[in-house]
Amino acid sequence: MSAIEVRSVTVRAGEKTLVDDVGFDAPSGEFTALVGPNGAGKSTLLRAIAGIEHAASGIVLQDGADLLALPRRARARKLALVEQDAATELPLTGSDVVRLGRSPHESIIGGGDPDAEGIVADALERTGATAFADRDITTLSGGERQRVLIARALAQQPQVLLLDEPTNHLDLAAQLDVVTLIENVTAAGVTVIAAIHDLSIAAAHADAVVVLAEGRVAASGPTEPTLTPELIGDVFGVSAQWTRNPLTGRPLLAVASR
Amino acid sequence: MIARRWIVTGVLVLALVLSILAAVTIGSAQIPLGDVVASILGHLGAPVATPDPLRDAIVWELRLPRVITAALVGAGLAISGAIMQSIIRNQLADPYLLGLSSGASLGAVSVLLLGVAFVLPVAAFAGAVLALIATLALARAGGPVTPSRTVLAGVAVSSLAGALTSFVIFWTAQGDSYRDVLSWLLGSLAGARWPAVTIAGIALLVVGVPLLFSGRLLDGFAFGDTSAAGLGINVQSTRWMLLTATALLTGAMVSVSGAIGFIGLVVPHAVRLVVGPGNRILLPLAALAGGIFLVWADTLARTAFDPRELPVGIITALVGAPVFAALLLRRRRVA
Amino acid sequence: MASRLAPLALVPLLLLAGCAAAPAPAASEIPTTGGGPVTVTNCGVEVTFDDAPERVVAIKSTSIELLLALGLGDRIVGTAFADGPVPEQWADAAADLHEVSAFMPNEESVLELEPDLVYSGWESAFAADAAGERDELSALGIQSYVQPAACRSTGPLPKLTFDEIFTEIRELAAIFRIDPEPLVEAQTAQLDAIEPDTRGLTALWYSSGTDIPYVGAGTGAPELVLETAGLTNIAADIDETWTSLGWEAIVAADPDVIVLVDADWNTAADKIALLESNPATASLSAVQNQRYITIPFPAGEAGVRSVDAAAAIAAAVAEFDLP
Repeated sequence: MSAIEVRSVTVRAGEKTLVDDVGFDAPSGEFTALVGPNGAGKSTLLRAIAGIEHAASGIVLQDGADLLALPRRARARKLALVEQDAATELPLTGSDVVRLGRSPHESIIGGGDPDAEGIVADALERTGATAFADRDITTLSGGERQRVLIARALAQQPQVLLLDEPTNHLDLAAQLDVVTLIENVTAAGVTVIAAIHDLSIAAAHADAVVVLAEGRVAASGPTEPTLTPELIGDVFGVSAQWTRNPLTGRPLLAVASR
Repeated sequence: MIARRWIVTGVLVLALVLSILAAVTIGSAQIPLGDVVASILGHLGAPVATPDPLRDAIVWELRLPRVITAALVGAGLAISGAIMQSIIRNQLADPYLLGLSSGASLGAVSVLLLGVAFVLPVAAFAGAVLALIATLALARAGGPVTPSRTVLAGVAVSSLAGALTSFVIFWTAQGDSYRDVLSWLLGSLAGARWPAVTIAGIALLVVGVPLLFSGRLLDGFAFGDTSAAGLGINVQSTRWMLLTATALLTGAMVSVSGAIGFIGLVVPHAVRLVVGPGNRILLPLAALAGGIFLVWADTLARTAFDPRELPVGIITALVGAPVFAALLLRRRRVA
Repeated sequence: MASRLAPLALVPLLLLAGCAAAPAPAASEIPTTGGGPVTVTNCGVEVTFDDAPERVVAIKSTSIELLLALGLGDRIVGTAFADGPVPEQWADAAADLHEVSAFMPNEESVLELEPDLVYSGWESAFAADAAGERDELSALGIQSYVQPAACRSTGPLPKLTFDEIFTEIRELAAIFRIDPEPLVEAQTAQLDAIEPDTRGLTALWYSSGTDIPYVGAGTGAPELVLETAGLTNIAADIDETWTSLGWEAIVAADPDVIVLVDADWNTAADKIALLESNPATASLSAVQNQRYITIPFPAGEAGVRSVDAAAAIAAAVAEFDLP
């Protein structure tokens, strides 16, 4: 597995520039969090990296090869995106949903994927979603559905997993579950880049951060050294101080209004 | 799950074949089974004694092409409906959403009332295609093509075509020519002879069968455009291609039989209830089920009030509308 | 003023064989007043005529032609929805008639003519989007009259007979204070002279329709005309005036004779082309032997030309070489 190097990505919508000349490195097999205030361009950047949003300029290198230059299906075999608030009305079962992730590996008309069953079962197991294999996805809770969607992404057998606000709308326990899941995924060697709204989660669990403000990179690098109180004050407009979580021993970012 | 799929497929194929054979033996004229078989075998080249010319004509020139056309049109409309529902991401979509049936009606009614009925299928098809072009052009104008824009554009084009159709009828319909028009607008297989079989058959073979293999692409849209793009699907061109193919298939069917309603809407639903929403299984099964349904609906249309005939669109509406309402109620309870 | 009742002749189109030519008695003088108010119950509405109408809007050929037959042509101030040209002997009288519309007229164009009677061969003319509702017209002093054989709203009509047609002629004549008997006697004489066919032949009365034919059924003018000519209608047991009938039933019945209704919008030639091009109907004995009889559309509805139609059909059938 290799690191991902994002270089000079710019996304425009009409007159507005949503992502402005963004570049950063996502270390291989690590959890990189994209953080920033609302409207900073985190979602847009992720979608541009996935090749879903049209980038006016920029490249996404993996092993020296530009992923954006690949044909769609080839790119979908290397990169998987779990979009924000993904939802469907169809009464698909958990395995149906995960099987969708095999689509880039199948032939044009479907089929030609002999190991599908095994890969699907494996993805469900890795995300702890085996119990939902035969359940209707529209009946699952937010956290349960998120597991299934991440399993779908894993079924694509990607080297890079992009997550857009994976902890949104989830209650506390589910949020922590997702974070644990991300850590398991990176432990298996997949590079994870996730847009995280909640700074404390990013601070506690991410290996590296990219701080976006108004479409530009304000700072990027390993988490604790990059998220200095000064930077946080500038970008987020709050006071901050690093400490330790007494329950877990992990770094904890304490915040207060100015 | 897989075994169930094959069992259901086998049952439906058998049911379709049996339905066609049974329907050919049913009709206003009481023709003995032996004569029916002899007529068909005779035309296929077997050395059998053919029944008298009129009975032979009834079986071979009236009933058989009509029943086969019913199967083909039912299959085509069901495929179109299933695809529309997936592309538009709305289970209440039907193949006529893009103004297709209104455009075809305008073309058909115009030539019916001008008295040049022999070009009817051509005019109807041309009308459908023009309506589709208008809808897609309208949907594109001023923004990216999204499902809801396309549907709204289709509504606009349908309304316009419908108004023009009404105008044409009102302006030129004399005497009882409105009956022909009404029969076409409601959908009828009464005029289906061997040329209709050819048109519907070619459309189903050339457009419909390839569409049966679009299940993987359609399934990719389950979570929306972003999801589909993330799975490596070219969203815009896939959507255009599928919509255009569906329109061609629907246009061909409508040109042969008028705008028969409720098949594209209800048959995919009914099949989904049995085998789930996955399009790979749904498309072929819906095609089979649609064919069976229309064969029987048409048989009913031509025999229920023997010797009078109803346009088959009335039967499909009478059966389809309550089924549709039941499905709607069911959804509400589940949601 | 006298109008001549020339022999009624159907416009010859295809295989029309001979017309019955009855000598025409002169009409009597036409009074415009006298005799007190005449009240009729017409299609569920009681209509009172204090005097004979002097300005009539006639809708549909059957109405126009009955007025011409009764010599009332000069009282027609406007016509609408004519189904075909009037027969030759009235062509001169008809030439001067003012056509309001080739289709249903709207109320304003009717009112503009200041009629005192609107006489229609179809009940649907008296709707708000056509000539106007009957009570609205009556409030404006305009009487309305629907041809009784076309009245649907008061329930199903009994099977049509010539007595019924003659009663209608008499009722209209009474409204106009004229003597109907010359016309009725001429029609009766012509009727009595018809020799119905005795060979037990069957017939199809094909009015219109391509996919699903619209044919004369058991209770209307087509049935009456066919019966009078001695033919058995294949749709005789259907309790309707006209009905839609499947091709299969027609092919199965294999009628000996096909009566084709000829109209501008659906000519007899069109129908013959359809019958011959469809492989199923091409094998009908009537098609193979070209046993067609053409009737102009107006003559196919109940009215003054019904006797003529029956006579023409009887004469044509007599020419057919059948056992």
